[in-house]
Amino acid sequence: MPTSILGPYTRTITAVVLVVFTVVFFYTVRVSVRASIEPLFDWMTASWFGIIGTTWGAAFAIVEALHLIGLALIGGTVIASDGRLLGLVLADQEPGVVVQKTYRIFNWALILTLSTGVFMACGVAGKIYFLKVFWYKMLALSAGMLFEYGIRRPLLEKDLEDITPWVIKLTATASIMVWFTVGALGRWIGYSG
Amino acid sequence: MNDENKAEAKLDDIQLAAVVSSSVFVVWFAVYWFFQIQAVRELFEFVRVNNF
Repeated sequence: MPTSILGPYTRTITAVVLVVFTVVFFYTVRVSVRASIEPLFDWMTASWFGIIGTTWGAAFAIVEALHLIGLALIGGTVIASDGRLLGLVLADQEPGVVVQKTYRIFNWALILTLSTGVFMACGVAGKIYFLKVFWYKMLALSAGMLFEYGIRRPLLEKDLEDITPWVIKLTATASIMVWFTVGALGRWIGYSG
Repeated sequence: MNDENKAEAKLDDIQLAAVVSSSVFVVWFAVYWFFQIQAVRELFEFVRVNNF
């Protein structure tokens, strides 16, 4: 099996580098980068999505309802999948089967949440730019997606019997925590500003 | 423990990456939500002391 220039621990090294990069970014250039992308939020406000979102309340409400359905589906798949890996729910089902069946629903729910989220962000761009909680949500969302597709799924593609049990439980716990944070911060944005 | 068992006890790349990233998330989650809940507790205390 070919290995990359990083050796046999490529994925681990990449994960560590990403964590270090995020921490360094947070404590160094975060503020200046945020200031530099303010015009993007002005553009979002002036875009068609922004105009529809700010002037047509019913459209915003319908899109927000779809956004919440997407979040609910993500939450449901996470509870079913990670809850099964932790042995908390669906105990009569094979863990591997439950995990595999949630993949497609999770993918579509994520697409729904992201696409409706962009529309909603345009409608309230002038507000969310100044909300700390919005940036924490984006951080949690990015981390959650990288974790899901870069770590969790490749890990669970292996036969579950070949994975150390506490690694499975730790991964499932982290997954629940990340997506809980995404959902909670999303609702927090709704009640802020 | 012989060499073969030692090799089996080692985590492979994806498992080690899962341990590293999951640990970071769990710690971050605990710290972040601790301070958020603490802020709400302080707000309640402020309201109680000032008789709002």
